[in-house]
Amino acid sequence: MLAYLLRRLAAGVVTILGVLLFLFVLFFLVAKPEDVARKALGERAPKAAVEQWIVNHGYDRPRFWNPDHPADTMLVDHFRRMLTFDFGASDADDVPISKRLREGIGPSLSLTLPLFVLGLLLGIPLALLVAFFRDTYIDRAGVVACVLLMSVSTLLYIIGGQYLLGKILRWFPISGFDPVPGVIARFLALPVIVGVIAGLGDSIRFDRTVFVEETGKDYVRTARAKGAGEARIMLRHVLRNGLIPILTQIVIAIPFLFTGSILLESFFGIPGLGSITVDAINANDFATLRTMVFIGSLLFVVGQILTDVSYTLADPRVRLE
Amino acid sequence: MSGALRYAAALGLAVMAALAGCTNDPYPAADAVEKILYQPFDDPPKTLDPQVAYSVVDHMVIGYVYDTLLGYHYLKRPFTLIPGMAEQVPEGRPVGGGRVAYRFRLRPDLRFQEDPCFSLSGAGARSRQVVADDIAFSLARVGDPAVGSPVLEALGKITGLVAFGKRIEERRKSDPAFAALRIDAQYRAAGPIEGIRVLGEREVEIVLDDAYPQILYWFAMPFTSPVPWEAVATYTGEGGADSFAEHPVGSGPFVLARYDKRSRIVLQRNEQWYGVLHPEWKAPAATYPSEGAPGDAEEGLLDPAYVGRPLPFLSRIELRREKEPIPTFTKFLQGYYDASGVIKESFDRVIQKGDLSPDMRTLGIHLARSVEPAISYLGFNMDDPVVGAKRGDRSRKLRQAMSLAIDSKEFLRLFANGRGIPAQTPLPPGIFGYDAEYANPFRQPDLERAAALLDEAGYPGGIDPSTGRPLHLTFDAGDTGAAALLQFQFYTSAWRRLGLDVEVAATSYNQFQDKVRRGAYQIFTWGWVADYPDPENFLFLLWSPMGRTHGGGPNTANYSNPRYDELFVRMKAMSDGPERLRVIDEMREILQQDRPWIENYYPERYALYHGWVENEKPAGLSLPTAKYLDIDAAERALLRVAWNEPITWPAYALLGLVVVVVAPGIVTFLRERQ
Repeated sequence: MLAYLLRRLAAGVVTILGVLLFLFVLFFLVAKPEDVARKALGERAPKAAVEQWIVNHGYDRPRFWNPDHPADTMLVDHFRRMLTFDFGASDADDVPISKRLREGIGPSLSLTLPLFVLGLLLGIPLALLVAFFRDTYIDRAGVVACVLLMSVSTLLYIIGGQYLLGKILRWFPISGFDPVPGVIARFLALPVIVGVIAGLGDSIRFDRTVFVEETGKDYVRTARAKGAGEARIMLRHVLRNGLIPILTQIVIAIPFLFTGSILLESFFGIPGLGSITVDAINANDFATLRTMVFIGSLLFVVGQILTDVSYTLADPRVRLE
Repeated sequence: MSGALRYAAALGLAVMAALAGCTNDPYPAADAVEKILYQPFDDPPKTLDPQVAYSVVDHMVIGYVYDTLLGYHYLKRPFTLIPGMAEQVPEGRPVGGGRVAYRFRLRPDLRFQEDPCFSLSGAGARSRQVVADDIAFSLARVGDPAVGSPVLEALGKITGLVAFGKRIEERRKSDPAFAALRIDAQYRAAGPIEGIRVLGEREVEIVLDDAYPQILYWFAMPFTSPVPWEAVATYTGEGGADSFAEHPVGSGPFVLARYDKRSRIVLQRNEQWYGVLHPEWKAPAATYPSEGAPGDAEEGLLDPAYVGRPLPFLSRIELRREKEPIPTFTKFLQGYYDASGVIKESFDRVIQKGDLSPDMRTLGIHLARSVEPAISYLGFNMDDPVVGAKRGDRSRKLRQAMSLAIDSKEFLRLFANGRGIPAQTPLPPGIFGYDAEYANPFRQPDLERAAALLDEAGYPGGIDPSTGRPLHLTFDAGDTGAAALLQFQFYTSAWRRLGLDVEVAATSYNQFQDKVRRGAYQIFTWGWVADYPDPENFLFLLWSPMGRTHGGGPNTANYSNPRYDELFVRMKAMSDGPERLRVIDEMREILQQDRPWIENYYPERYALYHGWVENEKPAGLSLPTAKYLDIDAAERALLRVAWNEPITWPAYALLGLVVVVVAPGIVTFLRERQ
């Protein structure tokens, strides 16, 4: 297992290095330091100020190759910063990016954690319920409802949620965020409800399929033959065995709780890491953007490895070779 | 009671409890009766360093935190300068060699807000007096290349400021010990700036290399606001310290109480502000004005209840981030923002027959219209071999013809709900030199005349004789959005009616910038909003030293006309008067014939205010006017409650529906299984 994990880790490192190189090339193909400077300083900034900004931010160095000082290039600096987790300062406002990450992670987790937990608490029982009533009108209605839920764009849920629950019924603020305890829940309620509903159809469909498959297995028939009640069979046997494939989906999602939700954060005005990413794109803020992509790719690799490990923990029959 | 019933009852009670606590009010209940102005903002501020900040949202914050030596009269139009921290608006005084001096005398007892940084100037000190040295320090920061002020070009007219910047940069590079000195020590060691003379604790003289009366406007902007050296030295952003760009320490009417720039910014009334400490001075920038522009009295802007009262009336300004316009407008209608623009999605609902709709009137909303000191225009790259100056009269006639084809009134009707005035010259209303009666002969749509001009230009029917096909031109733009493309098509369709083949070459913003740098563009669209209300701030957009491709300046048309340049230099050194007007008229005639621009429109701003907001008068310029506003918080609180009563019955109906639909299924299933 150790050898397997080391192999996966090595592949992950190569992937991340590739992502960093690709990101650097891509960004400097579409944007020049002058563009970044103009975005930061505004259209009206005179040429001298733009040039000064470029010097102050180190974008006046050679990009790929410096024959006199090979280590003094933007490319080397890019890799050095990312791999040592010294992310530097934002191109848009010179704020240290590590500070920005610290500020953003709280709002992101305050949204994604309840979203994640509520999604599980609602999705798994509802899937179990639908599987329990398989081949009845509840099951069929449930499947139709799930397909409908899956067919609608998240954007529509957001706009519809804001219109119905914020504007018409006036249950929640339409948007905004305030981390003050006692007030924060008011702002998170609507995005969490919208996020849960947007993801519910998908998870119920997946979990139902798993549970229905389990209910056809021999151990369920044996339990039923022994006289165990349907509720007991579903909760004690089917749920426990069905959770193994579901677990892998859960584990891979956990690292991404930290990167926030781009759409929900943007539309509901939550100042999390997803929102920071969108702001960085809009502001030509390469320094922040590369950090967010780097962290995203890092979490993806970690998520993949954790998923593999979780398999072996949940199912002793699985061996990583 | 069975388990299922108990569960259902508990769920029902939980839903009822949750609904009872439901509210769409985004603010704490305790704030409901406070005089707080609620405003949205979209992009977060980039910097709160007054010597650097240039965007509207930056100024939304620092305009209140940092006070200025001069200000603008709140009501008078055209805009009029009034004393701010300075006791008087100074007049230029020739000091020989073409140089001009302005002497500012500060009011006594001006104080910076309380901040721990002042311990640098004395143990335990929390604040100190604003002195003339602070003005000198701020101006030196403008010249310091490490600060990166975007206005050095304008303020570089101060004698010795640019040289100071070069000096300090060289010393920092060559002497690490110098670079390690505290910022105030560096500035002292770099030597004095000839054109900034501190004449006493409260007096400073600014000397300019040559006449530049517009310098006074810069002293009404935060770029020249005094900042304490202690704050710059303390908030370096290094070693875990705050950055000065995020930690302002000013002497304005409000202090920054909270700065979550991605969600919430709070400005609290500054009890140290001179207007609060010394209402008996009746200082013009700290007292509600007693006179205004014609019509202000009828609009209720000279209400005796406010005239002569000390400012500010508000206790707090709350800025909340809103990225999307529709939710922002909805929150305005719910009473959670005090003012709003009119979004295009709701225009027909809000404005009917050119005025507020009955729905809006019922809500007590009122509308304030103002033409902004701004212009939107189409431009030709005058360096281009086809549309530019090189082809002389031929390309001039081509530009004249193309100008005659653009119907700005129709453009405004289609794309701006009629909000705007078709532009005739680069100077918008409210700026000296604007003439409402003037009709530019090449800005009155006339396709017949345009066709005749094309014929004279050698493109009969729009055909390029060298190819035998319609003359092919490109319209270069840095926006690929659907809405923008529709607007570009409006222009190209108009030119197609002349037989011209104008292709829209829309790219990303970065690619467009690259084209502009390389000079690889023909026709473009751009806009300009005044920094200050002077014709110089518009006419310099066509002054050849400001050329974009060669000099990186804002003259994107790369227009160069020696006579225009000569007149511009004369005009900018003159004070408003008949002579200046004559010069402006001659410049206007040159532009009228040369047509480097097709002046499109002056945007008109529709601002909506709730009935509980008092004294609102849109400025157009990015000015800190909230200190003049008042809020009837009690009325607002009552109306918010009335407008936002939650509707709870659908929740109960939904719950009932679930029970009615699911319960029979469960019962039947369980019965069958048994």
